[in-house]
Amino acid sequence: MKGQKFDSTVVLRRTFLKGAAAFGGAAALRVPHAFAQEPAKPAEIIVRAWGGSWVDSLKAGVSDPFTAKTGVAVRHDLTEDNEIQPKVWAAVAQGRVPPIHINWDTTTNATKSALRGVTEDLSDLANLKNTTDLAKPVGLDGYPIVNTYGYVYVLAFRPEAFPDGPPKSWKDLLDPKFKGRIAFYNDGIGFHFPAQVAGGGKLEDIPGNMQPAWDFIAKMKEQQPLLGEDPDFTAWFQRGEIDAACTISTNAREAKKNGVNIDWVVPAEGAKFDTDGLWIPKGLPENELYWAKEYINFALTKEAQQVWLDGLGLPGVVPGVNPPADLADDPSYPTSEEDFKNLIRISSKVQVENESEWFSKFKSIMQG
Amino acid sequence: MTGSLGKSVVLWSVVACGLVILSAPTLVVLGASFTAGNIIAFPPEGLSLKWYSRIAGAGDLWNAFQRSLYVAFVCTLAAIPVGTLAGIALAKYAVRPERTIQVYLLLPFTIPLIGSGIGLMLLFGDLRLLGQLWPVGIACCVINLPFMIWAVMASASALDPELELAAASCGAPPLSTFLHVTLPAVVPGVISGSLLMFILALNEFLVSLLLVDARIVTLPVHIYNSIRSIITPDLAAISVVFIACAAAAVLLLDRLVGLEIFLKSK
Amino acid sequence: MDALEAAAAVVWPARFAAAVPYLMLAPAVLLVGLLVIGLAYIGDTSLRTLDTSTFLLSDDYTLANYRRALSESLFRTVAARSLQASLIVTAVTLLLAFPYAYLMVRTPSAALRKLLLIALFLPFFIGQVVRAYGWLIILGNQGMVNDALSLVGVAPLRLLYNYPSVLFGLIQYMLPFAVLMLAPALTAIPEELEAAAHSLGANWLRAFWHVVLPLARPGLVGAGLVVLTLTLTDFAMPAILGGGSQDFIANAIYDQFFRTSDQGLGATLALLLVAAGSLLVGLVLYLFGAGTLAMGRRR
Repeated sequence: MKGQKFDSTVVLRRTFLKGAAAFGGAAALRVPHAFAQEPAKPAEIIVRAWGGSWVDSLKAGVSDPFTAKTGVAVRHDLTEDNEIQPKVWAAVAQGRVPPIHINWDTTTNATKSALRGVTEDLSDLANLKNTTDLAKPVGLDGYPIVNTYGYVYVLAFRPEAFPDGPPKSWKDLLDPKFKGRIAFYNDGIGFHFPAQVAGGGKLEDIPGNMQPAWDFIAKMKEQQPLLGEDPDFTAWFQRGEIDAACTISTNAREAKKNGVNIDWVVPAEGAKFDTDGLWIPKGLPENELYWAKEYINFALTKEAQQVWLDGLGLPGVVPGVNPPADLADDPSYPTSEEDFKNLIRISSKVQVENESEWFSKFKSIMQG
Repeated sequence: MTGSLGKSVVLWSVVACGLVILSAPTLVVLGASFTAGNIIAFPPEGLSLKWYSRIAGAGDLWNAFQRSLYVAFVCTLAAIPVGTLAGIALAKYAVRPERTIQVYLLLPFTIPLIGSGIGLMLLFGDLRLLGQLWPVGIACCVINLPFMIWAVMASASALDPELELAAASCGAPPLSTFLHVTLPAVVPGVISGSLLMFILALNEFLVSLLLVDARIVTLPVHIYNSIRSIITPDLAAISVVFIACAAAAVLLLDRLVGLEIFLKSK
Repeated sequence: MDALEAAAAVVWPARFAAAVPYLMLAPAVLLVGLLVIGLAYIGDTSLRTLDTSTFLLSDDYTLANYRRALSESLFRTVAARSLQASLIVTAVTLLLAFPYAYLMVRTPSAALRKLLLIALFLPFFIGQVVRAYGWLIILGNQGMVNDALSLVGVAPLRLLYNYPSVLFGLIQYMLPFAVLMLAPALTAIPEELEAAAHSLGANWLRAFWHVVLPLARPGLVGAGLVVLTLTLTDFAMPAILGGGSQDFIANAIYDQFFRTSDQGLGATLALLLVAAGSLLVGLVLYLFGAGTLAMGRRR
């Protein structure tokens, strides 16, 4: 198999939690029966995770309870998602045992791996039946990835810089007083789609005609934005270098918890909604594959999701998980169909096929 | 030092400028590590050792540090003989084709680190060497080898050939000429080169990242992968501990062999 | 010792003497050979294009990546930027490093010598991310320098996240390398030579120019090549001090390998960079290297 075919090409403003309520209630962990043939337990499994509060949440919500339940220790590999990818691909191509058992990955990156055929199918996880349709990767056969939560690329800002109230539109950042005082991810991720709307274009035209997005981004370039990664944004907010940034709400919330004066909104044009997921690379010994699947299965229980996603401040894929107190009614924590109206979701297929072009287009505007 | 007032003024102003550029960020980080607050700030917000006590309790940091030391030792042990021989050969003999060899030996610097890392990952993967620590040391040695070669070359090229000739004509056989005349002359270059190799291997990030896995992660990889949303003062504290260890090592080296021999002109 | 010599003579009779230098070079050539094998993998990759419906590289060989690399303006921009930076950084770094190395080697004070030496090694131990934060504290909009400027009524200046700040960061990073490359070469220059020049009536500048500099040429060429090549292939400084809009060629390579998963294009850019860097090294050796490296040779 050289990969999988997509069955859907739609660009959707997603209707959410459809049919989710039908399942409701707590998802029961499939507890392995003592008399069943249970494969030998490995001493440990390795889960790739993002550092800082990300791995702390995963550890508290999933890894530690999993170890308590099964006796299988969990080690976290904190290599960046982008940087683990060539390592895993090379391992599979060379027929080696991959360096990790489970990859906690963006759905877009995971989809690339799924298309390449390096992911194990997860369709037989017992707890999948309790998940909302957010868990299912759009446009892929089966479950090469299980999405575990969604997140929003919000407009984070320093309230002092917006005395007249929070920004309402991405266009507010074009105000001359913000010259040199805004920040984006260095490949523009999270900003391409709202820019398409802000530039007067239609989401339906993605990827065919994204000129409105590039025009808007070119206007934004005149503002001399800083480009960086998550820790850069926090550092820049801390040191008063920037007033606004397009970033993942989790990181903005983490900065706020650490004493940085920061708030966030979903502007009128909308904000990009995407998902992260878990997947297992091919090439693991049978028994380790079994326990890796058990880990993901456990991550889909309500108990695990509740603690893990409380830490991240993100909406999960199991009905009945309660939002953390500070995020009730927050636009970055969508729970109802109403909340989703203002969020932009583009299918993974369109994203993976066009992402490198978008990145290089964004780069060539910004590097010029 | 021979020289005039003008010379001293020029020398000292350039050196002072160099000192400030070199040390400023380090001093700031050093100060910031004692902060009582939650962010890296200078001057620190109140004094405390809380970030030090936090890293003191982290066993995985200590393990990663030991692995980094091992990698640095492997790197340096490999670099000393390889680099010394190559440096002497290039400085003393007319090897042909000379420029081609020099361009070749500078490949570790002309290949971007990402290229070296990916290439070595694929090679070591095919050889089934990944998952061990010593290949990481060898990789660090390769990517920094020109430092060793050029440092030795710089001191060897100053070696007076008459001295070797004299030794030979006094009846000294070739091996002892090499051991007693040639080698001692290049010791300054060897020490300066190996110090650099050791420190660079200790701090190497990108190539190591591609060659280690979670079980054998080295300190720089451990530290810089653990940042996602926010940089906290514990990283400053780790840097300071690192610097203290290095300073202790340099002092020890000074006691044992004396740094004078490789820095003081004859 | 005699026994050793005898053994050496048996293993290695004098008539093999011509092979000695090549044998001495062999281990280094083999070690660097590991990278050459790596380059072969990369060369193979560079001839394949990415199919974004399977994320596999094509089975057939094609030069499409090379055409893209040479025709897209983004790559021309970043390549020109890297090249320009490597020349500027090399010149400035040598200018700063030479007096530093000279003072370190010549000062009669052992304490000063050690201070200068330790200052060289300090920056290595604070990694890139923390170092970037350190510069932010010093040079940021609300940093120490701008605070000082505001005392004399100057509005905050943007000192970071532009081209000059990347060059500055690179010079800071390269300075220790250059000094450590120069120091062994300077230790080898007898102080008496300078004294002799003075006694013949040369002032310090002339003595410096006519005696010290020429003798230090191997060190200068070595240090210059190190700084030149490391700057050309650097990716960390543009990433942390460039504010995202000052990418070098190595950043573009990083993006292809790690962000867009187009390893074919990344490999192509990497190979082109190696070729350009090697040409540059060859040129420097041709212009400055001839003869100077052979000073210690039997004539």
